Amino acid sequence: MSVSVTSASRSAWPFPVLLLALVAFTGICACLYLMLGPRTINFATILNAITSYDSGNFDHRVLVDIRLPRLLAAIIAGANLGLSGMLLQGLLRNPLAEPHILGLNAGASLAVVLTLALPTASLAALAPLRPFTAALGGFVVFSITVLFSSAGRGGLTLLKVTFCGIAFSALASSLTTAILLLDEETLQKIRLWLVGDLAGVTLHMLYASLAPSALALVLAVFIAPRLNVLELGDAVATGLGISIRQIRFLTILAAALCAGSAVSLVGPIGFVGLIVPNLVRYQNGNDYRQAVPLTLISGATLLILADLVARMVLLPHEIPTGIATALIGVPVFIMMVLRTSR
Amino acid sequence: MTNNLPGIPAASLGITSAYASATAPHATGHIRIAWRNRLVVFRLRPVCVASFLVFALLALAITSLLLGSYPTRIKDIMALISSGHDSPAHTQAILISLRIPRILLAALCGAMLGLAGSAMQSFTRNGLADPGLIGVREGSIFAVLITILFLPAVPLFLRPVIGMTGGLAIAGLAIIIARSVAHLRFVLVGIGLSWLLASAIAMLLVTQDSQTAQTALAWIAGSLSSASWDFFPVALFFTAISALALFATARSADIALLGEKAAIGLGSNLKLTAMIQLVAAAVLSATCVATVGGIGFIGLIAPHLARLSTGQSRQFSVLFNSAIWGALLLLCADTIGRVAFLPLQLPAGVVLAVIGVPVLLGLLWKQRHQL
Repeated sequence: MSVSVTSASRSAWPFPVLLLALVAFTGICACLYLMLGPRTINFATILNAITSYDSGNFDHRVLVDIRLPRLLAAIIAGANLGLSGMLLQGLLRNPLAEPHILGLNAGASLAVVLTLALPTASLAALAPLRPFTAALGGFVVFSITVLFSSAGRGGLTLLKVTFCGIAFSALASSLTTAILLLDEETLQKIRLWLVGDLAGVTLHMLYASLAPSALALVLAVFIAPRLNVLELGDAVATGLGISIRQIRFLTILAAALCAGSAVSLVGPIGFVGLIVPNLVRYQNGNDYRQAVPLTLISGATLLILADLVARMVLLPHEIPTGIATALIGVPVFIMMVLRTSR
Repeated sequence: MTNNLPGIPAASLGITSAYASATAPHATGHIRIAWRNRLVVFRLRPVCVASFLVFALLALAITSLLLGSYPTRIKDIMALISSGHDSPAHTQAILISLRIPRILLAALCGAMLGLAGSAMQSFTRNGLADPGLIGVREGSIFAVLITILFLPAVPLFLRPVIGMTGGLAIAGLAIIIARSVAHLRFVLVGIGLSWLLASAIAMLLVTQDSQTAQTALAWIAGSLSSASWDFFPVALFFTAISALALFATARSADIALLGEKAAIGLGSNLKLTAMIQLVAAAVLSATCVATVGGIGFIGLIAPHLARLSTGQSRQFSVLFNSAIWGALLLLCADTIGRVAFLPLQLPAGVVLAVIGVPVLLGLLWKQRHQL
């Protein structure tokens, strides 16, 4: 089966140059992220900490114990959220699709809170499985959304899937709120996590999120050329030998794995999955094979920048990262609504 | 005036088309009352449904009065009514200063949200419009929150006015951005704006100390636990004014559904009607926010329940029944939240979302061929 459909790139920059430029930009952002904060650390100290780590040095401790895990979390979560958004947009052929809007994040949060609130669950045993639990929750909620909104004469329309997503998302998050209000112990454990915040990420959580992220990436690389074909319409794609049902299932699975590992790491953060794939499409055209690496890198960069803003803008207060992404993302959402409905 | 409006555009997001079959004119089942030179005709079914709803509301209120962490019996209530101040002091205190104001406020706020929802859906001609969904509620919350946090000296009765200003500003912004209220774009833009405001509210709360933030969060979630008699007159005042305005414009709202040309030909001032409906909805929503906080879903589902239960889509009947449905829903949700997990209480807003989402999905399911 040969699936290669190339679409013309709109960018003045060829793909490899764009990729390299993005990587370089991400590197600069990461350095800035490590340097800035309530305590400014200069670049030489960072290099010093890499080459000869001294556990007695306060700056080194701040870098390695606090800022580095948070930076890594931003990279992993941002890449995952971006990829999840890209897959959903490819699946629904709709630039408005986004894991937060369509209920994946709320489902994932509900699953995590449910497992935390179970009286028998021992936290230590469940912690490595948390990303998978979250992915399962997102998968279930989004599958129900898709099934529900496929009913009816028009099939799966933008309108129905968005509203069903918002409705199921409201249901899942109100159930989450109810559980938390009834179970104060669980609330104390995850209060910060629930608004979508990068503070409080530990190395264990980072390790746990690697496996589902890798799995999702492999799936995405497999799906991407097929999504290109799917852009031509269901009939053409079937004619070219693609099993639509299989691709849909795999795409939802991969998107749920991405959202699950991101949510288990940093909580439900919205709008990264909306902004990043649209930017990538604007800059590099519609080829999903090229979009996968670009989305990963830009997602990571966006979340690094958003978290930097969230940490710095209201010093000495820190605003939750999810709020910073919403403040950037909502105008983009409104712009997209206006553009798609014209 | 008895006939249903024919030829209502079915494309207007199914606000009326879903009920077309239920509203086919009946040959029988009318009550005709001649008054002066006017013939007022009531349909039997809507009247029966409305009276049944009123009775259900009364029954629910009495049930709710009896339930709680301190159980009271019918006998206690009868004693309170008949002998007044001779009944035991604690029963008196619980009933008069805790449960009765809470129940009255729940019913009143539910009715306000039902009215606001049906006004909103009428003037946007969009069955999915709801003050909570399109940012009016968040706008009110934001304005009231700023008042509470930074201008605590502002008196209680001005809070709905301030909230109204915020809500109207957001509604105006959504209308300007979307350029048309009848299009789905308007709802999606409104949802976007409400997200933006929700993050602005969260940002405002981050800068406060945790005690203030906690209180504010409980209030935003929409809870009646702090209900008292203080709020009642203010809420009643604003509700009465807005309800009067809405019922007065109900007929021109019906005419507006016939389309712009027909409505103008029939002598209806469309812009004025829409403006009155928008302002009244914002006032109701803001009053509700200022009294019990952000409560969602009622404005969305109560009008649909009203149309489904009575089979009527005339605005007058929708307004009345959706007010009663709203009162029923909020009272029911508050009672469940208050009693189900004793000694803990769930905010009514949370319970409502759990009740409301299945109803919303049912409505979407009914209209799955139109959307």
